[in-house]
Amino acid sequence: MRTRVLVMVPVLAALHGCRQVAPTANEVVALRVAQMPSAPGDGVWNTTSEYTAKLLPQDLVDPRLMQSSTQEVRVRALTNGSELALRLSWLDPQVNDLPGPGRFVDGCAIQIPRTIEANPPDPQMGQAGRPAGIAFWRADWQAAMNGRKDDIRSIYPNAAVDHYPFQAQSLEPGSTVQQEMAMRYAPAAAVGNRRVGPRRSPVEDMIAEEPGTLSPDPAGSSRGKGERTADGWSVMIVRRAPEGWGPKTRTQIAFAV
Amino acid sequence: MARVYNWQIGREMSYWYPEHRPQKQFAAVFDTNKCIACQTCTLACKTTWTSGRGQEYMLWNNVETKPYGSYPLAWDLNLLKTLDGGKWNGGRYEGRTIFESAEAGERVLGWRPESQDYAYPNVGEDDCAGQVDAGAYMNSPHMAWFYYLARICNHCTHPACLASCPRGSIYKRPEDGIVLVDQSRCRGYQECVKACPYKKVFFNPMTGTSEKCIACYPKIEQGIQPQCFVNCIGKIRMAGFINKPQNARPDNPIDYLVHIKKVALPLYPQFGLEPNVYYIPPIHVPTPFTRQMFGPGVDAAVKTYRNATNDPDLAALLCLFGSSEMMMPQFRRQGDVISGIDAHGNTVVRVPVNEPVHVRPAYDRLYQIQRTNCP
Repeated sequence: MRTRVLVMVPVLAALHGCRQVAPTANEVVALRVAQMPSAPGDGVWNTTSEYTAKLLPQDLVDPRLMQSSTQEVRVRALTNGSELALRLSWLDPQVNDLPGPGRFVDGCAIQIPRTIEANPPDPQMGQAGRPAGIAFWRADWQAAMNGRKDDIRSIYPNAAVDHYPFQAQSLEPGSTVQQEMAMRYAPAAAVGNRRVGPRRSPVEDMIAEEPGTLSPDPAGSSRGKGERTADGWSVMIVRRAPEGWGPKTRTQIAFAV
Repeated sequence: MARVYNWQIGREMSYWYPEHRPQKQFAAVFDTNKCIACQTCTLACKTTWTSGRGQEYMLWNNVETKPYGSYPLAWDLNLLKTLDGGKWNGGRYEGRTIFESAEAGERVLGWRPESQDYAYPNVGEDDCAGQVDAGAYMNSPHMAWFYYLARICNHCTHPACLASCPRGSIYKRPEDGIVLVDQSRCRGYQECVKACPYKKVFFNPMTGTSEKCIACYPKIEQGIQPQCFVNCIGKIRMAGFINKPQNARPDNPIDYLVHIKKVALPLYPQFGLEPNVYYIPPIHVPTPFTRQMFGPGVDAAVKTYRNATNDPDLAALLCLFGSSEMMMPQFRRQGDVISGIDAHGNTVVRVPVNEPVHVRPAYDRLYQIQRTNCP
């Protein structure tokens, strides 16, 4: 599946017990909890309300998505005061978690301003001089976290591999020479591109100042987990709350699936 | 879109970025008539650059058997059937290029190959090593001919891969026009894979980035021809730098073959990229086929090539192919000898145009024995 859709909705931090939790909400309400969830299926998610966000095609910059394949995403939010946990759930009957030519894996992202302010950066990837923080979860990274091997036969079980130079018998495994040989044939790894496995997290932190400027956020510390549900995905992303975050503060948040 | 001039189609055309030509443009001439599809070039490239994980089926250089062979599968047909092409008026192309045919919301008209499209590189696809069963036959539009088409990245003057990348991760080096993917910036959106009509950008599923032929730029920087050139058994390749037609230098091998003799032609010029690998077309193939592939100059190019024996400079220059691993941006013929000259004006090789032929008598009088001459 290939979707690039986003929506902007307000998010509100609320104190637990200050109000009755409704099953649905007109905005994303982050309920204060003492213990942050560890998985999208944690029972604590049932204590907060759910907001259904309608998704829009990304038709602002080329290449545009003229038709979206995912219509909406259901969102719940929790906070412990310093972190914000969001759970995104959407319908998707087919699992797409194998990378390859012409393949696009399932994924989702949230964009949150770095600070609470009245006029936050543009919801579509921020704007020049006003970076936005983005946390990006992907199904293939989740599969790696779940134990899928980081090798070609995990993607193509019948792939024929004659020989990798870095596995030559003359090279001691783990030696500097052997590592250098491996880097020689993986230029993206050699220059530190974080797209390269093996993954340490299914979530990647990034910053953007407008479309096309997405870059890794070295200060990012988001974590998360995605799980298949009966009819789609449920993904939890936990990240540092924006600066100035507190009870009854509001900000803008955008989602992409 | 900006307007740029593309001399290969004889007109201005639309392109995503304004025209900005490099100081020098890497270019090459491949003589299809000499290629034997030994795939030594393919392996030279593969062992040098693409022996890593995720590159198992990735061939920056490949040789395919035309008219039916292709890698990835149907790379040419898939685009030709969607492109409003084929309308030449003399040297001017009046159809629409892939940039001018882009659908709404896209920068380039393209298509996306999938994994299985890379599963059929040319592994003996034209071998005739066994008997055909009695009664078996095939019928096809092209029955009596085939030829080999060696392909690398064309390091186009107006690259579709570069135009299509929403992140600006692909760049064209100002010093030599080589087109590269910035491996630190690429995020594997695969727009370049979709856009390149020659399908010479590849997605690596293990690194999550797109990769492509780099024209062995570390060698080019030292004045040495790329791996697939210097390892070519058939000596079909010549690497160099090309000038614009109005600046063509008659002592520059590439300029001479492309601009002056017009014996080497671009691959699918109607796509609009101004590709910089030029092919001497096969002389035995019906020109309606090669005209579609190499443009309207095919008939004249074949005629010129056939007449090379009566053209001392052209005949001599064809002998310079594969004679040295060094780049030879200049050549000079003196009588029956052609010299290849490097960027500093030094002669790097001298090649006789006509090799002396020695015929050994079958009977060796000295040893009083009979010998068999082998070709």
